Amino acid sequence: MADKVLTANRLGDGIAVWLDANGRWTEKLQDAFVARHAEAVAAIEDAGRKAFACNLVLDVNVIEVEEKGGLLRPLRLRERIRAEGPTIAYADGHGFADPAFIAA
Amino acid sequence: MYRYDEFDHAFVSARVEQFRDQVTRRLSGEIAEDAFRPLRLMNGVYLQLHAYMLRVAIPYGTLNSKQMRMLAHIARRYDRGYGHFTTRQNIQYNWPKLSDTPDILAELASVEMHAIQTSGNCIRNVTADHFAGAAADEVADPRPYAEILRQWSSVHPEFSFLPRKFKIAVTGAPRDRAAIQVHDIGLHLKKNEAGELGFAVYVGGGQGRTPLVAKLIRDFLPEEDLLTYVTAIVRVYNLHGRRDNKYKARIKILVHETGVEEVTRQVEAEFQQIRESELKLPEGDIRAIETYFAPPALPDRADGWEALARAKKADGAFASWAAQNVQPHRHPDYGMVTISLKPIGGTPGDASDVQMEVVADVAERLAFDEIRVSHEQNLILPHVALGDLYAVYQALETSGLATANAGLITDIIACPGLDYCALANARSIPVAQEISTRFGSPERQAEIGELKIKISGCINACGHHHVGHIGLLGVEKKGAELYQITLGGSGDENTSIGEIIGRGFEPERVTDAIETIVDTYLGLRLEPKETFIDAYRRVGPKPFKEALYGQTAEAA
Amino acid sequence: MDKMTKIWNQSGFLDNDTWVIETEEVRAGEGERAIVGLETFLDTVEHSNESGFGVLLRPADDVARLAPHLDRIALVAISFPAFSDGRGFSHATLLRQRLGFTGEVRAVGDVLIDQVPLMLRTGFTSFAVSNPVALARLAENRLPGIAERYQPSAVPSTEAGGFSWRRIGGRGA
Repeated sequence: MADKVLTANRLGDGIAVWLDANGRWTEKLQDAFVARHAEAVAAIEDAGRKAFACNLVLDVNVIEVEEKGGLLRPLRLRERIRAEGPTIAYADGHGFADPAFIAA
Repeated sequence: MYRYDEFDHAFVSARVEQFRDQVTRRLSGEIAEDAFRPLRLMNGVYLQLHAYMLRVAIPYGTLNSKQMRMLAHIARRYDRGYGHFTTRQNIQYNWPKLSDTPDILAELASVEMHAIQTSGNCIRNVTADHFAGAAADEVADPRPYAEILRQWSSVHPEFSFLPRKFKIAVTGAPRDRAAIQVHDIGLHLKKNEAGELGFAVYVGGGQGRTPLVAKLIRDFLPEEDLLTYVTAIVRVYNLHGRRDNKYKARIKILVHETGVEEVTRQVEAEFQQIRESELKLPEGDIRAIETYFAPPALPDRADGWEALARAKKADGAFASWAAQNVQPHRHPDYGMVTISLKPIGGTPGDASDVQMEVVADVAERLAFDEIRVSHEQNLILPHVALGDLYAVYQALETSGLATANAGLITDIIACPGLDYCALANARSIPVAQEISTRFGSPERQAEIGELKIKISGCINACGHHHVGHIGLLGVEKKGAELYQITLGGSGDENTSIGEIIGRGFEPERVTDAIETIVDTYLGLRLEPKETFIDAYRRVGPKPFKEALYGQTAEAA
Repeated sequence: MDKMTKIWNQSGFLDNDTWVIETEEVRAGEGERAIVGLETFLDTVEHSNESGFGVLLRPADDVARLAPHLDRIALVAISFPAFSDGRGFSHATLLRQRLGFTGEVRAVGDVLIDQVPLMLRTGFTSFAVSNPVALARLAENRLPGIAERYQPSAVPSTEAGGFSWRRIGGRGA
């Protein structure tokens, strides 16, 4: 079973967030809690349902990650872009995604 | 342009308060997401990959400097300092907080703008020729009718829960600059033999998963019948459009599956029932709306010709810009300016708040305070005296707004793609940037001539790739991006859907593929004046397939 | 109707409504009036002289089939199986404007508070409501409608001046 993390978007501002080990939502994928077995996945899914029902977040999803070079790296390109932000210089003062992290 | 009166202000303020109430109820948890979602969509609020997205309506792409300054202000105050102009003449902000959206809408309302029905299964922004009211070839300005349709479709009680989105476009010239044949309803404003105004009515065009060219169902609809006839079409669609499958729910599928004769029969039958109803347009109302769109008084500026000639001689870069980005105006002393939002290597259609302020200033000082957004993601100053072109150019140039590439290969249309959009399978912007950079040399662009590349990051085709001379569709294959190339599409009065020419290309091979296509064209064109699309229509896909894939085409 | 559903019209909630939508499991009992499906109605009305019928229209039904029998219908219930299915708005509009029906038109199914003003404008006169938020808002008589309208609709409303398509109404209808 691939490692998994829980992701969603915050209700108030829509910002992409991940569930951390304290059950809080963080803007940093690297701080996400990694579920490595079935019980842990069930637990994060449950936490996601609760957070959605409490109107903290929306669009809750369990996504697959791997550990690579000491970093959590989502298997899907879409989720890597969500973690890093747009891959182009889109606005002054906002940087853009690390191409090495984004690469397939 | 149209000016709100008390009634319009009251409506849009009430709408803002209605939405504020809905947002408050959502944030407090009183309403859940599934009930809130259609409500926020009808006010233009999407959820994207990184954040919410707000799509603000720019009715038929027309705005003035005061409104443009407000768009800049919103980018600065509530977003990350920029906005994105879209293929439906709207603007999108990519980072608004849901909790800020009622305030944003209130600020927009103060300058007669809104985000009503820019999403959702309802009638969307009615788009029009971005050169309306100025073009030398125009028969009549389509925008008064776009405004009538905009008003009539606002919070329409019968048509707020259609099977799917509904898009209408209007054009008023023999050349179609509004891509009406790939809209749900396309209206071509024209005159009959008696000189009366009316519309050729097209129904069932669209892109996306099933691209289809619209069918002509009425050769001449008198102007007074505009609302009754459109009501008939939308009512038939509301009742009979498919609701079982999101990808088969547009009116184009209804026309395709039921047949244009039967759909026309149903529309005409319904129309006959309501043609004399309250919705028949009194002539007084049409003429009253028209007065809002009366062109500005344009003084003769014959002196401008010489000033222009001198400036062109003195400044080669200006000369290139004037040659490429200025189109003939009805009035011989004027031109229509295209402000390119496609800087070489930049993000197509994006503008910073600073750039928006520059455009507002130039429009106010030198262009009769009128700005347009084109469906090709550029801005337009429709009325600029030839003698003022150099001043306009200089002001634009300092802010990176004077790229001389209107209609050329680097004037690329691209959707936001996987960098922003939750629906996307692949990125569009980096592909556009790489192609733009490769072909950035002005000489190379001039040599190639008119070539419209359109890029979509998914099958929804918001980048309008189906009607690109070269279309690129990003797909996902085995977890990686892949780009299908189509050739020969066109969104003008000779609308055609591009043909897929073979196996897709990995991101790192796309630009080379474009080079191969361009080199093939240059090698086989009869003369420089034969544009890419004309050459393609003459020779077909074969030479391009052979150049890309060799004599035996590889499996797609 | 089940216990969670209340009937509302512009005078408020009704506590004496006797209409029952008949299904295979549910029949109208003593003192109750049956709302039957279109086919059942058309069958029944052919073989009886009664009037005061209740008819249920589903989204795919053709409202025109009621035309010959309007004088015998007391209530037309129009179904919204999902709030996103907007066919009921056209049915109500045609029922009022084309067929000239003057009896009760009831919205049943997935009725949400934000749809109620639109339903009132298209000719609905009563609502079977189970959504808790809608129930609460209707109890407070807080309808989220907008008084300014850009189109005439099935319910006559005051012309607003300026342009022929403008109307003015209340925040409900």
